Amino acid sequence: MSRRQSPGKILGRVGLVLLAVPALAAVFAPLTARHSPTRPSARPLLKPSLGHPLGTDDLGIDIFAQLIYGSRISLAIGLGAAVLAVVVGLTVALVAGWRRGWAETVLMRLTDVTLAFPFLPLVLVLAAFFGRGLIVTALVIGAVTWARPARVLWAQVLKLREYPHVQAARAMGATGTRCVVRHILTRLTPVTSAQFVRVANAAVISEAALAFLGLGDPNQASWGIMLANASSNNALLTGAWKWWMVPPGLALTLVVLGFAFTGYASEEWADPRLASTGRLRFLSSRRRRPSPAATAAAVETPDPGPILSVRDLVVHYDRQGPAVVKGVSFDVERERVTALVGESGSGKSTIVLALLGLLPGDPLVEGEATFEGRKLLRAAAAARVRGRQVGFVTQAAMNALNPAYTIHFQVSEAAALTMPQEEARRRATDLLETVGLPASDHGAYPHELSGGMRQRVVIAMALANKPDLLIADEPTTGLDLVTQAAILHLLGDLKDRLGLTVLLITHDVQMVMRVADEIVILQDGCVVEQGAVDTVVADPQQDYTRRLLNTRLSPLTVKV
Amino acid sequence: MSALLEVRHATKTFRSGAGARRRRVMALDDVSLSVGEGEIVALVGESGSGKSTLGRAVVGLERLDGGKALFEGVEYASMSERSLRELRRQMHLVLQDPYQSLHPGMRVATAVAEPLEIAGTGNAKSPKVAEALEEVGLTPASQFLARYPHQLSGGQRQRVVLARALVGRPRLVVADEPTSMVDATLRAGIVALIRQLRDHHGIAFLVITHDLDMAAAVAEQVAIMQRGRLVECGPTPEVFAAPSHDYTKMLLRAAAEVGRLDVAD
Repeated sequence: MSRRQSPGKILGRVGLVLLAVPALAAVFAPLTARHSPTRPSARPLLKPSLGHPLGTDDLGIDIFAQLIYGSRISLAIGLGAAVLAVVVGLTVALVAGWRRGWAETVLMRLTDVTLAFPFLPLVLVLAAFFGRGLIVTALVIGAVTWARPARVLWAQVLKLREYPHVQAARAMGATGTRCVVRHILTRLTPVTSAQFVRVANAAVISEAALAFLGLGDPNQASWGIMLANASSNNALLTGAWKWWMVPPGLALTLVVLGFAFTGYASEEWADPRLASTGRLRFLSSRRRRPSPAATAAAVETPDPGPILSVRDLVVHYDRQGPAVVKGVSFDVERERVTALVGESGSGKSTIVLALLGLLPGDPLVEGEATFEGRKLLRAAAAARVRGRQVGFVTQAAMNALNPAYTIHFQVSEAAALTMPQEEARRRATDLLETVGLPASDHGAYPHELSGGMRQRVVIAMALANKPDLLIADEPTTGLDLVTQAAILHLLGDLKDRLGLTVLLITHDVQMVMRVADEIVILQDGCVVEQGAVDTVVADPQQDYTRRLLNTRLSPLTVKV
Repeated sequence: MSALLEVRHATKTFRSGAGARRRRVMALDDVSLSVGEGEIVALVGESGSGKSTLGRAVVGLERLDGGKALFEGVEYASMSERSLRELRRQMHLVLQDPYQSLHPGMRVATAVAEPLEIAGTGNAKSPKVAEALEEVGLTPASQFLARYPHQLSGGQRQRVVLARALVGRPRLVVADEPTSMVDATLRAGIVALIRQLRDHHGIAFLVITHDLDMAAAVAEQVAIMQRGRLVECGPTPEVFAAPSHDYTKMLLRAAAEVGRLDVAD
């Protein structure tokens, strides 16, 4: 196992360091700065020297002291405004999202109204009206910025309250407070911290802007006031900007970056899943040479041999990670249904994704795959056959149809890849009829159809360009038994009528026994047994196959 | 003898669509059902038959439009949310998706201890939590207590969900499609576990499923639902040996077609 740290952790550390510098400066200001940030300690407009590392301003006040004490103001305003905005926003979101009803109507309209005001002008007006001062500035910024967190978090609450674990907790008799605190609030942390960082950033910058525009408290040495003073003393012309304007500007930038990085890390902390997947993003460039065995195993495909032939396929998701598919070889014969069977984690879906060049990230794929005499496994080759000679029904594709278009439009769009529009539209009508959807349903939108009907649409799309091979990954998952039977029946029927070859991927041997001709059983990335279905079922050679075949729950016999 | 759970003439209507397409869907249409003490009842139907709505109504997540629900003879369909909360602690709901049923940020021990915490009878450190994990076959429990859901397989997660179901010793567990998202090889394990929990603790189960073979393997009583109505119900062997309703026969044929049941010629 790699002991490399996830990117979030590294960024988080950097962020904390960036924030720690001004935070320490703020806390230990009296120790770091030897002079007062508000009273003159030397002649005005001195250049940097040992006594005054950044010189003095027009009143003779030490600039270094202002910079150090300025961090107190920036951090206080940033954190104060962010706490205020997030507490208000979160409360509004939780009350509106959990209670619903009139409370939601009132609170969310109020949020919309607040959002509608332009940010900086409103802050300027409020600041001018309520006067100058640290607390007033934080309050004003908080009062203007709570609405966005409220709106974003409210949407999250609405989504989370329907989650099974929240429903389960309610069903256990948990009080509303408990559901909100334990199940909703905890899952809001990533979004909340991102919003917190946003507001803190906005507050730090707005404070600087307000001060620069003359609405700050001139008695407080904030970074914005420093910039304003420097500007009014023509620091840009005299060259004093190098020690008068750059340091506060840099300090502002570092604080903003610090907030951003910390926010990123807090998302990861709130959701432990991110920490493990994050590792995939950092890949080294170390390449492995293909094994000699794999290169030697070049296969000839005498016509009319198998339509697809896979030899010694090895797949690593990550160049350093373990092999997920460990040397798999099998053939898919023409006009037959071949089933690739294995439990989750056996590598069956990975094989298909590798063949079609659809693996995410930067995987390592070795071995040979020949489709109609063409070498697959190279991204370019796979892209050429995908959607044309090979139709692919991805897992859960039926839930991924575009809700904005009718099914007929979506099928004709798929067909338009290889034919003119007019012909594609006609083909879509034929295809939808072929998969058993009557013309009255062709104008329907996906959400108006049942899961089984959507699966038929997806199969029609996969058939759009007259493929020679149809690959279906768990085409019956999430459907009830009646619909599963109908979809399997459809696949068998398509094979007979259209002379199609089908590669079916599933975890359920029972399911494919009646529809498949050939079966390939996978365990842990290796083929454990393969052959004609009847042979394998009648006389399984491996314990694992026997176990898969013994998944039947009930000894009941049905008379049909 | 009164049943543990009794649903009488339950009705529930949902409105769907808008404008001219607006229509009312009868999710439950005069449904009556009872579950005896320590009995396993399977509620079978296709998606959209209203079986999940009935399950949600039984645990009080859905309010009935009409009809009654009784737990040990006490009517609770019209109870206030507060009184209902007490009653819910005697019941438990297991949902189909083991990936979404557990809070991703909660360790196994905390998730399993939730019913105890709600009832105020324990917490994540209670020995009951480890015992529950051992009982559902997650042994040794010490290896699982501190894990997060994403570090478990689908089958292990569903076992954690079942451990959470049994830890508070409820009288009734409503399990909505407990096996539909786990591998075929793991289904048998979940079925055996449900029977074991009933045998050891007398917990009654209402198992909602579209798998007829699952119903046949797990339940003493089976009820078949079609479009909001209960079309057939009775002791499992009788219903399966001699289905009286065409819809039941159709479901049996479908199960045979996908290889879940043997076919006699």
